[in-house]
Amino acid sequence: MKSKKYIINLAFGITFASVLFVVGCSSSKDVAVAKSGAQLWGENCVRCHNAPSPTAFSDYQWETIGQHMRIRANLTAMETDKIVDFLKMAN
Amino acid sequence: MKRLLKISLLLLVAFFISEAVFAQDDEDFDKEDPVEELAKEVNSLKPGLSRFLMRGYAHAGVEFLQNSATFVGGSFNPIFLWQQSKRLLFESELELELTETGTELGLDYADMSYFLNDYMTIRLGKFLLPFGTFGERLHPRWINRLPSNPLGFTHSGQVGPLSDLGVEIRGAFHMTRSAWINYSIYVVNGPRLNDGGDEPEEGGKLHYNNYIDNNKAKTFGGRIGILPLNNSSLEIGFSGQFGKVGSSDTKYEDVGSQLYALDLSYVTRLDFMKSMLDIKGQWNRVKVDQASYPNPEDAAQSYSFENVSDAYYAQLSIKPAFVDNSFFNKLEFVGRYSKLELPTEAVWGGEDTQITVGINYWLDFRTVIKFAYQTLDSNGTEDGHNSLAQGDAFLVHWSIGF
Repeated sequence: MKSKKYIINLAFGITFASVLFVVGCSSSKDVAVAKSGAQLWGENCVRCHNAPSPTAFSDYQWETIGQHMRIRANLTAMETDKIVDFLKMAN
Repeated sequence: MKRLLKISLLLLVAFFISEAVFAQDDEDFDKEDPVEELAKEVNSLKPGLSRFLMRGYAHAGVEFLQNSATFVGGSFNPIFLWQQSKRLLFESELELELTETGTELGLDYADMSYFLNDYMTIRLGKFLLPFGTFGERLHPRWINRLPSNPLGFTHSGQVGPLSDLGVEIRGAFHMTRSAWINYSIYVVNGPRLNDGGDEPEEGGKLHYNNYIDNNKAKTFGGRIGILPLNNSSLEIGFSGQFGKVGSSDTKYEDVGSQLYALDLSYVTRLDFMKSMLDIKGQWNRVKVDQASYPNPEDAAQSYSFENVSDAYYAQLSIKPAFVDNSFFNKLEFVGRYSKLELPTEAVWGGEDTQITVGINYWLDFRTVIKFAYQTLDSNGTEDGHNSLAQGDAFLVHWSIGF
């Protein structure tokens, strides 16, 4: 009985996430394109810690850090790329 | 004869001259364009697609307690990042810490992430669980605004998981033009129920470092974070984790657990104060199905209790980062209220309340000196915080992220 409850909960969760995902992807690119890398850097880094100085790391280091932070902060690929491009340009 | 000598002499001179000329040409040939030389040097330093990077954080401090003053910390947390390609990343964090018994080495996480597409990533290994945000995002010492952790958000006295072994799918996408959502769904070993067989005083507690599962059932969980404002300043997160926690082939094998967390983050600029405002909060609830455990006071008897634990905190910080004074714009003022409520009928139960106020001085964006005064009103629980402080204490910590 309890296993059935877990399966129902899981199925509900997956369905909910799938619907949100499909609905969300249609507008994701438009919104991300509208914001600059500097704006995304300023908005997203400070949600947890101080915004890092672009000069703190090299271009190649920013690329690896970008991948790490894309996972940790749950960013989309486009947002991550724009932030990393800004940091590489400004360092 | 004389003529022959002259010809020989001329040939000898011609030979030496030609040697000198060709030698000059060779030298000229060996000398490369300085721009090309520089380009070669730069290319030799350019890493390939596979890249290794070490980052991390460290901290040390001194704590003035009720009956003593002691230096603490000396911890060092290196984070190793290995970017195999544009799609594959390995990350790992070690924790080296001085304890009463010596140097302790721990593996906080070690996982591999593969970017399936722009909005979805799969992770495998031991990873920080998105159960709320403190454990996954805010626990590093240079990010945590205070020298101590909230009650119940540490390795000891823990309410809710910090990390586990399993597989996870996570990502983010925009739901509307202003709101976006991040999500995570995972399957892990899950916590293990201490049935009190070996430690009767621990019966009913959950242990979260269950690296080899104690049953066949897997634990499912996930988190949805909603950022409804266009500038991403507000995030509200809902987390859940469900699974059996009892060991196979015991009377506890059907005992399940339901874990919930609610988290909030609001970070915005206060123009009238020329400051940044940062509000954080999280509430964790751990519920374990009813079961009987050995009574530590009488081994022949058993006892049961409503096994529900709560831990929550609310934190506010103000940083006058935009004032003109170069001393004041590096200060940050922080206050936090934290509470831990364990089942009152359990021998390990009780209630703790912690209030912490502090002032931070930021040397740069990732180096901070923290001064904090902390009060702890304890009513029976074990140590539920990272600090040694069991009562009122004054804490001074230095933290750096690198």
